[in-house]
Amino acid sequence: MAPQNKNEFSQAVKRIRVWYALLVLVLAVFTVRLFYVQIIRYDHYRAAALSDQLKQYEIPATRGTISAHDGDSVLPIVLNQQLYTLYADPLFVKNRQAAADKLAPIVGGDAAKYAELMNAKKSRYVVLAKKLSDQQQKAIAQLKLPGIGTVAQDFRTYPQGSLASQVLGFVNDEGQGKYGVEQALNNRLKGKPGQLKAITDANGVPLAASRDNTRVAPKNGDDLVLTIDLALQQQLEGIVAQGVKDTKATAASALIMDLHTGAVKAMGNAPTYDPGQYFKVDDASLFQNAAVAHPIEVGSSMKALTTAAALDQGVIKPDTTYYDPSFWIVDQFRITNIEEDGGAGTRDLNQLLNLSLNTGATWELMQMGGGQINDKARNAWHDYLANRYMFGKPTGIEQGYESPGYVPAPADNGAGIDLTYANTAFGQAMTATPVQMAAALSAVLNGGTYYQPRLLDSVVDGNGQSHQVAPKVVKRGVVSAKTGQALIPMMQYVVQHHNFSPGFDQNTYTVGGKTGTAQIAKPGGGYYDNLFNGTYVGFVGGDQPQYVIVVFVYKPTNGGYAGTAAAQPLFGKLAHLLINDSYIMPKRQ
Amino acid sequence: MRPRQNSQGRQRAAIQSNQLQLGRGRRPDYWLLIWCAALLSIGLIVVYAISPALAAAHHVNANYYVGKQLLAIGLSLVAFAFTAHVPLQWWRQAYKPLLVIAAIATFLALLMPVNPSYPAHRWVRLGSFSFQSVELVKFAILLWLAGFLAKRRQEGIIHSRQQTLKPILYALAIVSVVVVGVQSDLGSAGVMVAMMATMAFVAGLPMRRILLISTVVLVGLVLAVSATPYRRTRLESFLHPEANCQDSGYQACQALIAVGSGGIIGLGLGSSVQAYGYLPEAANDSIFAIYAEKFGFIGSVILLGVFIAFFARLKSIAERLPDDFSRLMVIGVLAWLSVQTMINIGAMLGLLPLKGITLPFISYGGTSVVFAAAAVGLAYQASRYAAPRPPRVSVAEPSARPGLRDTTVRRPI
Repeated sequence: MAPQNKNEFSQAVKRIRVWYALLVLVLAVFTVRLFYVQIIRYDHYRAAALSDQLKQYEIPATRGTISAHDGDSVLPIVLNQQLYTLYADPLFVKNRQAAADKLAPIVGGDAAKYAELMNAKKSRYVVLAKKLSDQQQKAIAQLKLPGIGTVAQDFRTYPQGSLASQVLGFVNDEGQGKYGVEQALNNRLKGKPGQLKAITDANGVPLAASRDNTRVAPKNGDDLVLTIDLALQQQLEGIVAQGVKDTKATAASALIMDLHTGAVKAMGNAPTYDPGQYFKVDDASLFQNAAVAHPIEVGSSMKALTTAAALDQGVIKPDTTYYDPSFWIVDQFRITNIEEDGGAGTRDLNQLLNLSLNTGATWELMQMGGGQINDKARNAWHDYLANRYMFGKPTGIEQGYESPGYVPAPADNGAGIDLTYANTAFGQAMTATPVQMAAALSAVLNGGTYYQPRLLDSVVDGNGQSHQVAPKVVKRGVVSAKTGQALIPMMQYVVQHHNFSPGFDQNTYTVGGKTGTAQIAKPGGGYYDNLFNGTYVGFVGGDQPQYVIVVFVYKPTNGGYAGTAAAQPLFGKLAHLLINDSYIMPKRQ
Repeated sequence: MRPRQNSQGRQRAAIQSNQLQLGRGRRPDYWLLIWCAALLSIGLIVVYAISPALAAAHHVNANYYVGKQLLAIGLSLVAFAFTAHVPLQWWRQAYKPLLVIAAIATFLALLMPVNPSYPAHRWVRLGSFSFQSVELVKFAILLWLAGFLAKRRQEGIIHSRQQTLKPILYALAIVSVVVVGVQSDLGSAGVMVAMMATMAFVAGLPMRRILLISTVVLVGLVLAVSATPYRRTRLESFLHPEANCQDSGYQACQALIAVGSGGIIGLGLGSSVQAYGYLPEAANDSIFAIYAEKFGFIGSVILLGVFIAFFARLKSIAERLPDDFSRLMVIGVLAWLSVQTMINIGAMLGLLPLKGITLPFISYGGTSVVFAAAAVGLAYQASRYAAPRPPRVSVAEPSARPGLRDTTVRRPI
């Protein structure tokens, strides 16, 4: 064999081996790289993998239901219903028009609209329809359209329709309680969502059992039972609505409170709305429960509380009489009474309240200062207004958007503070809500204990355990028990000397009240000449007052004094309602 | 030693050189088959394991992918049997019709409708049957170049610039224009160029020529990358993978995450997560990453070991073959399959840019496995003529000089 031959052959073999050595070298580099990626950097890539793959899902908690009393039983007024929201992930929808054409017959509506929605760029979640039923959901699932899905969502239903809607509030699309109890007790109602941590595919669908999956069960919201009595509530709402109609008022509020516990038995306003259709309401003020959210200058109704404060301080006695000059000049301003009050003369406290003498209430304030309106008078009266009757701050009732109202500060501001305070003695120049008035009057009548007004009667927790909510005492000794006992006959006197049809038999029941015809401040200062709010605070009971009733009628236009002509009849109807439907034990004969 | 040839003599030699000098056939190299079968089995297992994930994503029967892969393996066996039994002599002549068919297929692929946003004319569809024309081109070029280089060696003009280098450069140019320019398949072009360069290298082209070819290829590569925006972004995302995880570097990032999260022993056969929509092309180009996620470092090294064992058989056969054509052909098969393996795995490990080519025998996909099996069939047939022992190569060996023309090689004694 020729050596060249041999050489050339050797050269080929040698080059094969050189080349092969390079191949082995590259694969050795790969091995080193594998070692680096899989062992040294394992934690980094494992974390990166989990951050992509491990997704957290919220398992929604079921929102608590809301019930209320109906005689001895408890009836639900807010329940949940599972409905479905239809969504699309445009990235995974293959043929949008075809998908829309298939969906439209099931969901209803226009296929073109759905196709257009699905054309949304950049969005991975487009809501196509809401509140679909179980059947619709199943029909959609059977289409097996890629990128189209449904999520279950609880929606509120209202078996009692619009009853107590402003007390209840509603739940918006994000699951947040808005207004009323739903807002105030949102945290208790909504519960705590559970959590599912699961390894998922790239579309977020959890893969079957993985050691990295964990599940925390949701804690469902508490079921609430309100202090509301449904029968009373229904009739109160009817009476209020009728009252607005009869008095041609813009609106009215009324509530009935158990004066020994602060529990609200019925509370309503007119006009109102249907919470099942809340999204159709244009005027957001309709959502407000005016009885807690809309403070006004209460007018002469305040005189009952002014009298109680003066009695409690001992600066007047129940049998005190005084000379009423029919006007006072305070800060160069003339405080007068209405014409029917009969001019100057000697008056007692019954007359003061019955004739609703502004000069009388001013006189009471003067007595607090030792005969004139001064620092002492203002401070003493402010103490009662702010620290005992709790005006100027929210009561804490379980309602959204409660308003604090307003009480002027007693310090001399050099701008007619005495006149301002004289005004507060008869319910002007300060504002309060019906629920504040009811709570303050309750405290006077029940012997001096201010209970926080409340709507929550009991709570049924997730284990079905029922917890009674105890009345919450905010302040004891608001006034002495004697003061309350002294005020009761004076307010009865007022009822006896006003026209009610039918009237009240004070031998069987204890019924007292005080009217208020409140001037309405103009936005620019001063008061309207021809617009008033009618207010009424009163009580009804057997041997002792049992319920406080507060009625506000806003801007009635049926003539007469608003307190007497508009608010008083509603009080009468509500008081009779309590008597006739046996909410009250008659006096022991 | 033959006398110096004139042109007529060269023709005579060409006729002679078409006869293979193989000698008597022996027992073929069964280990080549065993390792190849091992690779196919691993691939089938991985495809089987992720078949449900793929099926869910594409709304087909859960066993659709396994079924198709089994069909591809069946076709591969047919292709293997065919190339292993039709004599090498015939294959040496077959490059002409094969090139014609490959050209027609490439032309047909051009006519097929493609995704307008990604206009790569790679697929030929005839009814329900479809294949990637580039695999046929590879196969045809392999046979042509092995024959061409063997002939040039026999003629003793392997060093000739005109007779040897020029045709190779032309072939390179055609391959580049067609495969890179029209089919947008830089990966396959790279495999072919590497295959051709390896064969030329082993055939004994002077190192300077090899370097020249390399330079030309490099310049072409730079041009190809800079001329097309998507290759630029791919290169960009290769250089800065973490910065482009959400867009252009997504596949590269997800591949590394899959590999890295496998750890030492892997998540287990049934526990791959990345196949569930995270890692694109999980069954095809990215299958190594899925494998590494399932079987970890240990499994990955074992797979590399099987590849090495398989390549070692091809190398060993090539070393022991007495004949230029068959040796160069086996080297071509080795280069084809090994370079494709390196490009694929390198990309999965973040060492090379993504190229969109399959992992031989492991990846799902009919065309690549059928042609790879066909190529192995050729090597298997050739192995029957390999000498039992590898040749000794003297340490102090004079380098090849021009002028050595005798290419008839006998088995060493």
